[in-house]
Amino acid sequence: MLIANMKEGYTMRLLSLRFALLACAVFSFAVQAQVPSGYPADYAKIVEGAKKEGKVVVYSTTDAKLVQPLIKDFEAAFPGVKVEYADMNSTELYSRFTSENAANAASADAVWSSAMDLQIKLASDGLAAVYKSPESAALPEWARWKDMVYATTFEPIAIIYNKRLVPAEDVPKTHADFTKLLTTKADKYQKKVTTYDAEKSGVGFMLANQDAKLDPAFWDLVKAMGARGVNQQSSTATMIERVSSGENLIGYNILGSYALTRAKKDSGIGVVFTTDYNLVLSRLAFVSKNAKNPNAGRLWLDYLLSKRGQTITAEQAELFSVRTDITGKDSGVGFSKELGNAVKPIPVSADLLSGLNEAKRLDFLKQWQVALGRK
Amino acid sequence: MKTGAFSLPRTSVVAITALVIFLPLGLIFWQSLLNAPFFNPAHRYGLSAYAFIFEDPDFWSAFGNSILIATGMVLIALPLGAALAFLLTRTDLPAQRWIEVMVLIPVFVSPMVLAFGYVVAMGPVGFYSVWARSLFEDVPWNIYSLPSIAVIAGLTHVPHVYLYSSAALKSLGSDVEEAARVAGANPIRVAIDVSLPMTMPALLYAAVLVFFLGFELFGLPLVLGDPEGHLVLSTYLFKLTNKLGTPSYHLMAAVAVCIVAVTFPLVLLQRWLMRTAGKYVSVKGKATRQKLLPLGGWKWVALGLVALWLIFTIVVPISGIALRAFVEQWGEGIKLSEVLTLDNFRGVFESSEQVRAIINTLLIGVVGGALAVACYMAIGLAGHRQRGGVARILDYIVLIPRAIPGLLAGLAFLWIFLFVPGLKELRNSIFSVWLAYTVVWLAYGMRLISSALLQIGPELEESARTVGASGARVLKDVTVPLIRFGLLASWLLVFMIFEREYSTGVYLLTQGTEVIGSMLVSLWGAGAIDQVAALSLINIALVAVGLAVALRFGVRLHE
Repeated sequence: MLIANMKEGYTMRLLSLRFALLACAVFSFAVQAQVPSGYPADYAKIVEGAKKEGKVVVYSTTDAKLVQPLIKDFEAAFPGVKVEYADMNSTELYSRFTSENAANAASADAVWSSAMDLQIKLASDGLAAVYKSPESAALPEWARWKDMVYATTFEPIAIIYNKRLVPAEDVPKTHADFTKLLTTKADKYQKKVTTYDAEKSGVGFMLANQDAKLDPAFWDLVKAMGARGVNQQSSTATMIERVSSGENLIGYNILGSYALTRAKKDSGIGVVFTTDYNLVLSRLAFVSKNAKNPNAGRLWLDYLLSKRGQTITAEQAELFSVRTDITGKDSGVGFSKELGNAVKPIPVSADLLSGLNEAKRLDFLKQWQVALGRK
Repeated sequence: MKTGAFSLPRTSVVAITALVIFLPLGLIFWQSLLNAPFFNPAHRYGLSAYAFIFEDPDFWSAFGNSILIATGMVLIALPLGAALAFLLTRTDLPAQRWIEVMVLIPVFVSPMVLAFGYVVAMGPVGFYSVWARSLFEDVPWNIYSLPSIAVIAGLTHVPHVYLYSSAALKSLGSDVEEAARVAGANPIRVAIDVSLPMTMPALLYAAVLVFFLGFELFGLPLVLGDPEGHLVLSTYLFKLTNKLGTPSYHLMAAVAVCIVAVTFPLVLLQRWLMRTAGKYVSVKGKATRQKLLPLGGWKWVALGLVALWLIFTIVVPISGIALRAFVEQWGEGIKLSEVLTLDNFRGVFESSEQVRAIINTLLIGVVGGALAVACYMAIGLAGHRQRGGVARILDYIVLIPRAIPGLLAGLAFLWIFLFVPGLKELRNSIFSVWLAYTVVWLAYGMRLISSALLQIGPELEESARTVGASGARVLKDVTVPLIRFGLLASWLLVFMIFEREYSTGVYLLTQGTEVIGSMLVSLWGAGAIDQVAALSLINIALVAVGLAVALRFGVRLHE
C-alpha cells in the first residue's frame, strides 16, 4: 500500500511538472503573441504584469451597454485580464475617484470621462500617472496632454430637430441661421427650443464656454433662445426625448453620438451639423497614479487608443474614432472631410481649467442668465 | 422598574443608533464649515459656504417653493389619507381588498419614474394631452407649473398618511364608534368626531413626515420643475453640484444644514403636540371586536372619489411608463401601433448589470427589509416605557436622517465607508447600501412601530411584571407578540420603500452593489430612456408580485 501510494505520488508529481512546463510554454507563447505590432519589445512586461493583476477597474461616463463590444474584444485580446466596468455620471465619477484616492482606498485603474475639464483637473491635481502610450503618435496634436491624458473619441456636437414638425427649410446650417430662425419664426418656436442648463450641467457649461470663445455672435444666439423661452435641461437624453416627442422642436448643443444612435431607431429625430464651426467633444482617458492594477490600466488605455480598439469604438460603440489613420465615415478624419476647417475639436489642454476658476465661472454664468433674460 | 434606562442592551442600541445618525450628519455639518472637501488638505474653516448660498437669489426662491410645495402636500395628503384610512378600515366600502393594494402603488414607484410617467401621459404632447386637445381644442393643464407639482406631490403622498392612520385605526377598538352610532351620529360625524381624534397622534406624525418629505422631494421637481425652471431646495442642492465646475460639497452641505434647521423645529413642535400621548391608549386588557360601519348610499360616492384619486395617481402615470416601455418613440403625430416593440425589455435582460440589479433589489427589499425592521424594533423597544431622557432623545433623533436629501446622505455614507478605518472592505458589498437605506428611512419605519407600541396599554405588561417576569421576558412574551402585525406590515412597507429608493444608492453603486433605483439614475443620465422605462415597469411588477405573495400568505395590513 505504502509503495503504491508513493508511486502514485511520484507519477502525480511528474505529471504536474509536465503540465507546468507545458503551461509555461503556452503562456510565454501567448505573451509573445499579445504584444501588438509596432510596440516596443519590453511591452511584454506590461502584458505580463496585467495578467498577474488579473483585472482592470475602469470608471467611465460611457453607458456600459454601448461599450460591451469593446470590453469583450479587450478580454479576448488579453485573456486573463478582466474588465470591471463602472459607469456613472461625470460628477459622481469625480466625487468617487477623489474621495477614494484621498482615503487611499481601492479605486479606478483607468478613468474615462466626457467631462473634459474635470479630467484635466484630476490630472493637474496629480491623480493621473505619467505614461507615454505607444499609440500616441497616431493621435492628432490636440488630442493628448502632457503624456497623461488622451482623447479617445471624436464626438461632434449637433443641433437636433423634430423631423415631423420642422420643415426642411427651417433646419439651420450655421449658428447665424439658427439665431435668424428663432427671431423670424418667433411664434412657431416659442417655448419649443431646448438646450443644456449651463448651471446644472458641466458639459453644458463647457460647450457654451467654448461657443463664446469661438463665435463673437454667440451671445446674440443666447438672447434669441432666451426670448423664445428656452427649456434648459441637464442631460442630452432628456432633450432628445422631448424633441422626439414634439414637446420641443429643436435642440441646441446636443451630443451628436447619442443623437445619431437614437436617430437610427427613431424616425422623428433629425441631426444636423453646422458649417460655420462645429464643436467636437472627446472622452478623455488616463491611468490613475494610485492604480492598484497599473499594468492593466496601461493596457486598457493603449487598447482604447489602438487601431483595433478605435475601429470598434467607431463601428460598434458609435463614438467616432479620433485616430488620424482611420478614415471611414465614422471617424474624425472622415467627418472633417465634410466640414473641413469648420470642425473645432475642444483641445485637450490646461485652457479647460479656466472654466473651473470660481470667479470666472460665476461671471460667465451670470452673463448667460442675463442674456437669457432670466435675471 | 429595575430594568432601568441604562441596561446594557438598551444602552448599546441607543449608542449604535446615535452613531449611525450623527456620524453622517456630523460629517455634513463639519463639511459645511469648510471651503473645500474635508479630505483636501488645503481646506480652511469659515462661513463662506453659507455666505454664498444666502447671497444667491436662487436659494431664496427654492426655499419659498419648498415651503409652498410641502404645505400644499400636507393640505392635500392629510385629509385624503385620513379619509381613505377611515373608509378602508371602518366602513363597508366595496372592493376594499383591491383598493387597499392599489393605494400602496405610489409609495413604491420611484418619484422620478412617476414624474416621467406624467410627462409621457400629461405633458404638453403627452397622450392624454393630445386627446384632451382634440376634445377641448386646448390642453387645460400644465404639469410643469408650481401648483401642479404640489398637487401631484400631494396626491402621491396620500398613501403615507393612509398607512399611519390606518395602522392606528386598526388597533383601535370600534366600541367607541359603535357608541356614537347608537347615539345617532351618521358615518361622517363618527369619522370626524370619534375616529379622527383617536388617531390624532398618528396623523400628527404623518403630517410632520409629509412636510419632511416635501422638503426632501427630489425626483418630481427634478423632472417636472426643470422645463420652467422651478427650483426646490433639493434640486437647488443638486444644481450646486456643478455650478462651480467641481462638486461643491461645502455648498451642498450648507444647504442640507439649512434643510435640517427648518425641519428640526417641526420635530419639536410635533413632540409638544404629542405630550399627552397616554390619552390615546386604546388597546386595553379587555376584549374588543371591530364592527364595520354601514355607509348606505354614501358607499358609491365614496367609491367614486377613491376611484378618481386612483386613476390620477396610478393609472395615468403608470400607463405612461408602460406605454413608453413598449414603444420606440412617442409624441405628436406618431401612430403608436406602428412603433410597438419588445426591444426595450430585451435590452434589460441582455445586460448582466441590470439583471444583477434586479436580483440585488429583491434581496435588499426582502432580506434587508426584514433586518431593517429588526433594527427599528430594537430601537423602538429601547425607548418603550421609558420616561427618561434616553427615550426622548431617541424620539427626536430618529426623525433627523429623513431631513437630509438622499443623494447627500448616500455621499456621506460613501465617505464613512472610505474614511472610517475597518469599513473599507464593506463598501463593495450590498451591506453599504443596506445600511444607508436603513438609516435614511429610519424615521419612516420607526413611526409604524412606535404607533403600534403606543397603543398597547401598560397594564398588559405590568400584569406580566407582577407575576414575576423579567424585563426581557415581558418584551418577548407580551410586547412583541402584541405588535407582530405592526411588524409584518412594517416589513412590507420597508420592502416597498427599499425597492424604489433611488438617490441614496447612487454614490455607493459599484460592481456588486447595483440596485434598480441607482441603476435607473445612471441609465437616465446615459440616455437609455428605453431601458429606464422597461426597468421601471419590471420594478413595479416585482413589487406588485411581492405584495401579492405577502398578502396571499397572510401578511395582513390589518387584523
